[in-house]
Amino acid sequence: MSQRIDHHPILGSLGDRKQLPFYYNGSVYTAYEGETIAGALLAAGVRTLRVHEEKGTPRGIYCNIGHCYECRVHVDGVPTVRACMTLVQEGMQVNAGSILPTPLKKGGHGA
Amino acid sequence: MIDLLIIGAGPAGLSAAIASARQGLAVRVVDEFYRPGGRLLGQLHEEPDGVWWNGLDEAARLTEEAKHLGVELCCGVSVFHLTQSQNGWVVSTTQGEMIVPLLLIATGASEAAVPVPGWTLPGVMSIGAAQVMTNVQRVRVGQRGVVIGINILSVAISRELQLAGIAVDRMILPSSTTVSGTAGQPQAVMQSLLRVAHLAPSLMIRMGSKVMGSSWMQKLAVSLYPSNGFSMWDIPIQLRTAALEIVGTSQVEGVRIARVATDGSPIAGTEQVIPADFVCIAGGLSPLAELAAIAGCPFAYVPSLGGHVPLHNESMRTPVPGLYVAGNITGIESAKVAMAQGTVAGLSIAKARGKLKNEQPLSDAIQQVKFIRQNATIQFHPDIVAGRALVGQMTAEWIAN
Amino acid sequence: MESHPLIICRCEEVTLAELVETAQTYPCTARELKLRTRAGMGCCGGRTCRTLIDQVIQQVTGQAPSHTVSLGYQPPIRPVSFQTIGGQRA
Repeated sequence: MSQRIDHHPILGSLGDRKQLPFYYNGSVYTAYEGETIAGALLAAGVRTLRVHEEKGTPRGIYCNIGHCYECRVHVDGVPTVRACMTLVQEGMQVNAGSILPTPLKKGGHGA
Repeated sequence: MIDLLIIGAGPAGLSAAIASARQGLAVRVVDEFYRPGGRLLGQLHEEPDGVWWNGLDEAARLTEEAKHLGVELCCGVSVFHLTQSQNGWVVSTTQGEMIVPLLLIATGASEAAVPVPGWTLPGVMSIGAAQVMTNVQRVRVGQRGVVIGINILSVAISRELQLAGIAVDRMILPSSTTVSGTAGQPQAVMQSLLRVAHLAPSLMIRMGSKVMGSSWMQKLAVSLYPSNGFSMWDIPIQLRTAALEIVGTSQVEGVRIARVATDGSPIAGTEQVIPADFVCIAGGLSPLAELAAIAGCPFAYVPSLGGHVPLHNESMRTPVPGLYVAGNITGIESAKVAMAQGTVAGLSIAKARGKLKNEQPLSDAIQQVKFIRQNATIQFHPDIVAGRALVGQMTAEWIAN
Repeated sequence: MESHPLIICRCEEVTLAELVETAQTYPCTARELKLRTRAGMGCCGGRTCRTLIDQVIQQVTGQAPSHTVSLGYQPPIRPVSFQTIGGQRA
């Protein structure tokens, strides 16, 4: 079920908006024009946007205005893109990123 | 060639752009969000006269006016460094370097965090995040959630969530820890709510007549924390309940809560887990002054203004040549004050560029800031005026030395 | 359901317990606490937790906040690529 607020008692109704298919971790999702990556994925029920690079713990939006960088994703191969600040473009490839190796921990020789 | 670069297209930045462009300055505004408006975007509340304050409309109005005056608006641009040069500023942005004689930093505020165990789980977000998702992105943050942190801002936004059909199960305190400050202390939180009691008549209208008739403040003061709290728009506000932990494995599933004593310590045997699919954390706001620090501006630590603020005088000029500030970076107040400060900054900068033929509008604008502050429906802090005076005095001393 | 520790720095997953223990072991400044624990040194540049680090220092060591910002700001204040720092448009 979509979580979009199509009708609002004060802000009114959203009119017809262009649909923009895009990809998140290889699966196709649909955004509406004017939606951020974070907004479009949340509307589809996706809350985990990435995992912590070292601990692997799941993360989603926190501040939603670009301050905390918790929602950072890879967009068309570019890392550290804020899902909360970036409007979906048609065909965009969004990826969560993954746990990164930490060879320098525990003494710096791969322990 | 531009005369003025403004960083931040919020109420202060846009108002400054309008005021300075009217005096004939060539102005560019950059903002890292994808659309102009700053924290105006998402604001939605009923004024004492029953008219809705819709920040989206205000942002659109200011944006139109700025564009009409020839202001160049660049959204989606982040500033990551500033250096002073002989003739002004070199501003490093994700769209390349910008070289300008005069700079206005109007970057607003960031939300203060009140950490709760489990707050990194997806589905936990700041209260401002929920506001933007709901009113700007028009996407529900969940079906039923809990708001941790009770203050004027979180009460207002909880009402906005409810308007959009999102249920707020209850508003509770964070558990009292080393880093929760007074946010976890029932009496301190109650006092901060009672501080606005002198504004009760207008506040009551603002908060919705249904629950009012002066009863809620009275209930709050007299029956001191009823166990289910009191309700506003049917949202229970529980000053004697705290969040011990946000529970869930891959995302929010609920909140483990307990009743707390008047000092905020949990009462044994009262723990329970309440289900929730989202949690909002509300710790208030603090000035976002990182660029002013990079620019070498001296600071004042003023709790009533939200923390560290760049020194500036009432013309919004900092002690650093060619550097101005306006809006919440100078202290946490309403968008209306930010707009009035922006107008002052814009005129003040026009004066510095030799484009202000008559100084009367500048002194009028300075008076207007004070007038709006005095007549604010809600003061974010009771000591704002004293805090502003301290900053003014420190700035004067700094410049004198 | 496992219990979550109280994380202060979300970027580097530094807990309150680690910060308090470090501040007790090495009565130090906010800056030293940051360098010892990496709290505030992650992707967000400490925007989310810097005031919390200050509060830990105030509570544990009794240092009062001053007009000077305790944790300095270093450019770049946004995580940007070397190409962007070099002037290439993002």
